[in-house]
Amino acid sequence: MDTDDATLIERSARGRPDAFVEVVRRHEAAVHGFLARRAGRQAADDLLGEVWLRAFAARGGYDPGRADARPWLYGIARNVLRAHWRARPEPGPAAAEETADPWDEVVNRLDSAALMRALAAGLRALPAAERDALLLVAWEQLTPAEAAVALGVPAGTVRSRLHRARAALRPLLARDPERAERTR
Amino acid sequence: MADPELDELLRALGPAEPPGPGALEAAREVLWSAVAGEMLAVGPAGGAGRARPGTAARPANGTRRRGQPGA
Repeated sequence: MDTDDATLIERSARGRPDAFVEVVRRHEAAVHGFLARRAGRQAADDLLGEVWLRAFAARGGYDPGRADARPWLYGIARNVLRAHWRARPEPGPAAAEETADPWDEVVNRLDSAALMRALAAGLRALPAAERDALLLVAWEQLTPAEAAVALGVPAGTVRSRLHRARAALRPLLARDPERAERTR
Repeated sequence: MADPELDELLRALGPAEPPGPGALEAAREVLWSAVAGEMLAVGPAGGAGRARPGTAARPANGTRRRGQPGA
């Protein structure tokens, strides 16, 4: 019934730029959530407009074969977050790339239960690429193929990263006493 | 390949805080500025006449709802 995102984006690139606003209305809560989970609400509030500007500027390159724009918007939001983190005042002469992955701040916002703390620590220990893939699937509910669009890598690469990330985290669940009791 | 139990726990780790009051509208306003700028630069398609800022091609269904708390 509804016109899909790809059609609206194409329309917006062909003389009806206002058509892009409907795409934004459809996905603004999800993209804000993506930002808020990783950077907190205030930063999400501040950065959302930048996501829309970048997406609007890049809409001419949108793949019309992708009816749902959400993975593409997450990819843009991820780049905006990285730029945001790089632009922050650095605590020292650390490499800029390091400051683009402030996972400690994310962990501070997470649940404090023991298993959750263990999981958070497990996530922190994952390579950033594996963590990004896992959280796009677990937090944003993307399929591996959609996560691949957001990350700009082949779907097979995402599947491999997911497999490694889950294999690394899975033992944490087995060590949880309550969980072990329930499954006994 | 999928691991629903693990993914469920991970989901519980990452609840999203809701947007601040007016945050979504403010971000949309930023977009509207770019949209209006482009419409002024190229004019609307289909020979409907030249767009004027704040008027042309803005949907009448309340897409742009400045000043509506919680919208």
